[in-house]
Amino acid sequence: MQTIETEVLVIGGGATGVGVARDAALRGFATVLVERKDLAEGTTGRYHGLLHSGGRYAVKDPQAARECAAENGVLRRIAADCIEDTGGLFVTTPWDDVEFGDRFLAGCAATGVGVEEIEVGAALVREPALNPDIRRAFLVADASMDAWKLAWACARSAVEHGARVLTYHRVTEVLRNGDAVAGVVTVDVRTGVTLTVRAQVTVNATGAWAGQLAALAGCRPVDVVPGKGIMIAMNHRIVNTVLNRCTMPSDGDIIVPIRTVSVVGTTDSPVTDPDQLEVTQAEVDHMLDEGEKLVPGFRKARALRVWAGARPLFGAKEPGDEKTRDITRAHTLLDHRQRDGLDGFVTITGGKATTFRLMAEETMDLVARMASPGTDRPCRTATLPLPDSEPGAYYAVGSRLAQRERHLLDDQLVCECELVSRRDLTEALDRRPTANIDDIRRALRLGMGPCQGGFCTYRATGILHHQERLDQATANRALLDFLQERWKGLAPILYGDQLRQARLDDWLYQGLLDVEHLPAAAGAP
Amino acid sequence: MSDDGEIVVVGAGMAGLVAALRLAEAGRRARILAKGFGATHLSGATIDVLGYTPAPVMSPAGALPAFVAEHPDHPYARVGAGVVEEAVGWLKGHLTDPRYVGDLGRNFLLPTAAGVCKPAAVAPQTMAAGDLRGGGPYAIVGLPGLKDFYPSLVAGNLALATTPAGTAVGARAVEVDLSPGGRVDAGPLGYARRFEDPRFRADFAAALQGRLAADEVLGVPAVLGLAGAEQAWEELEARVERPIFEIPTLPPSVPGLRMFTVLMAAARRAGARVVIGAEVVGVETDGYRVRGVWSGTANGRRFYPTAALVLATGGWAAGGLVMDSHRVVREPVLGLPVTGADDGAARFLPGYLDHHPLATAGIAVDRWLRPVDARGAVLYDNVRVAGATLAGAEPWKEKSGDGISVATGYHAAMSVLTEEG
Repeated sequence: MQTIETEVLVIGGGATGVGVARDAALRGFATVLVERKDLAEGTTGRYHGLLHSGGRYAVKDPQAARECAAENGVLRRIAADCIEDTGGLFVTTPWDDVEFGDRFLAGCAATGVGVEEIEVGAALVREPALNPDIRRAFLVADASMDAWKLAWACARSAVEHGARVLTYHRVTEVLRNGDAVAGVVTVDVRTGVTLTVRAQVTVNATGAWAGQLAALAGCRPVDVVPGKGIMIAMNHRIVNTVLNRCTMPSDGDIIVPIRTVSVVGTTDSPVTDPDQLEVTQAEVDHMLDEGEKLVPGFRKARALRVWAGARPLFGAKEPGDEKTRDITRAHTLLDHRQRDGLDGFVTITGGKATTFRLMAEETMDLVARMASPGTDRPCRTATLPLPDSEPGAYYAVGSRLAQRERHLLDDQLVCECELVSRRDLTEALDRRPTANIDDIRRALRLGMGPCQGGFCTYRATGILHHQERLDQATANRALLDFLQERWKGLAPILYGDQLRQARLDDWLYQGLLDVEHLPAAAGAP
Repeated sequence: MSDDGEIVVVGAGMAGLVAALRLAEAGRRARILAKGFGATHLSGATIDVLGYTPAPVMSPAGALPAFVAEHPDHPYARVGAGVVEEAVGWLKGHLTDPRYVGDLGRNFLLPTAAGVCKPAAVAPQTMAAGDLRGGGPYAIVGLPGLKDFYPSLVAGNLALATTPAGTAVGARAVEVDLSPGGRVDAGPLGYARRFEDPRFRADFAAALQGRLAADEVLGVPAVLGLAGAEQAWEELEARVERPIFEIPTLPPSVPGLRMFTVLMAAARRAGARVVIGAEVVGVETDGYRVRGVWSGTANGRRFYPTAALVLATGGWAAGGLVMDSHRVVREPVLGLPVTGADDGAARFLPGYLDHHPLATAGIAVDRWLRPVDARGAVLYDNVRVAGATLAGAEPWKEKSGDGISVATGYHAAMSVLTEEG
């Protein structure tokens, strides 16, 4: 069995984990990150994509509001390429208390959240689809953020500074050395090869899975309740500003315009297993009804896809005891030496994507004291931009189109919905060879548009098969797996034009290509 | 039906074209009103009658009697196996460029663009040489700029196939570096237009010179011209001195467009009128009869009186059946009840390839294809329903879509003509 040694081992490849790995690498620590799937495949890649201004928490959770407001400014400096500067509106709909607006303004003032009340007419000029019956409107610095791009940029930065990032490495055992955690044993889920990573400090950055990993380490239970939230992507930019209801945070009270879509979210219900997140018809209907309150006619828009994420919420007792929305959104850092007498082991959980960098900084401040006491290794992540990001140079919704237009004559369009070209695809495969189209999707948004892979699933399989020289069974598996992966997010929202699209895709894949009789399909799991 | 007036066919897909052509050639005035083009433009253009039950079907004619007995609500059970055979034979006589070969006695096994050999009863002559029974060996030709066809994927899967007799199949990919005007993103139509030019065909044949084994069968993407495909195919076969077969690409389907063009021209020659871009937005009824339909176009609404109505608007994919965000289902032209879409049961199952309950939802009909309610009572005496709008089939799994459209479109016309009901 192969063994590698490191100073800092990070478990979990979500925003928090890659943030910790980058922070550690920038401080000069030898760093290894292991992730059981792909980067940002858990909660980070399954949220609505909001970069919080802090407004959402201004009344309810002042600490979270303060952190969001500060980190919003930091991320706009270091991760501008991952952010679209949409701005955000908090609006008082006929279903909301007009007086709450005053509490909202006071909360923003107290927590450093920038806000300006604007005329209802001005809000409607800015967002014509907005409910014309709104009574108040407040402008804040909300934005949308591409979490996959962010995670990969952090990982690249970490690697540039010497870190190793091992995706598809699942932890099977936490190694103990008496009263200390000494590392982990992992298995590469693609090859079955085991790898031992020995580390001075192990950081549990597994979010909603933190309780599971803590149990493997053998410490006292870490009480993380996964809070399920569902989100639905609508097929176009219904709005271009983030819309929030100006009320206490509740279900379905936010619409985030991100990339080519608008995402409505979200719900909050405690679950026992963050890997089992079922979306119910009732939840979908609830989102659509709430969307209708912000944007009349919302139900007539085309829903592309639904998904669910598991928020890591620390501190609840048992699932079902209480509504998880009432737990603080601020994060929790556990030093298991103090908590459990277990050395070399730290858990960071809770929090949100907007504050991932701050969470990483606080984590590494603690880890640095543990791993190299007495030395000063300051955090550098608040000022050093991520690769490809320049302060102020935000992503714009037309960026990809502009890029495509420069290459219309010399490059092939593989995914028309998301404007992914053949060169984009082959370069992504050069950077990171894979036999999994879903990996390509997270890197390029391939298959995420209105046809949900109707055309590009076949094309990507053909190109992948050719370029990666996949054996036939693997190529067929890739195609069928991706169709299945797309189906998972489609089935609960199939109505209207998306039902029509799904049936068309059936004609292509089953009627025309007959994929259910591919050689790999017979033995499909 | 004593009234000798015009008969409106709603929909210009396979079922609508077949119904209108059959009516027109029988001397009735037929008019197609369609919102747009139908699924012919997506179709691989083979006439798939029955491919899987789910066991592979070698002979549709042999399998149909048992199939309709086991599926009493299937459109084939409504029209009867004999009508299926009669209708497909009739259609074959109308498909001229290219001509079609085969019959219900035996399915071809024709390679798809994924390299699966798909059962089809009747196929364009330009595709028939791909039949797996021939055993290859196959040389599958790729063209740069054609992103809807991957020869190594096709060849790789073909190489895993065995013939029905159990022999292994040889297959490999060959790339020909030829694209229309050097374009990197030409698409099936871009290539099809170029293949109509004899010089381009000569260049194509020249590029293959010396690269093929003597016994190889040549599989090419189905882009050998929109018009004159049969001649282009024959000429290429002569040039490369080997059998050539076309493989349908992702849409827009060149062979599907050919089939549409041929059937549309035949219907028009027979006297049918065709209005594309005229969605039917309302109907006038008189008791159990439809008196006429309103079409909505950019130019305003227009009323078409009709002696009988053939509803061939397609299924969920075409908009012939719709479901709103409250999951209320509707047949939009006549408001016919949709069976099999009940709210009670799960409409979709977790696996993409599962048999989803909603798949077989549609309009229930009697044996004359008149729409009926849940108790089997006829809703409109002078309405016939044909094609993918009908309940009871899972055509993309059965590989029966074309067969259903042809048989029910034909039967709908015959039912109107013989004044049954």
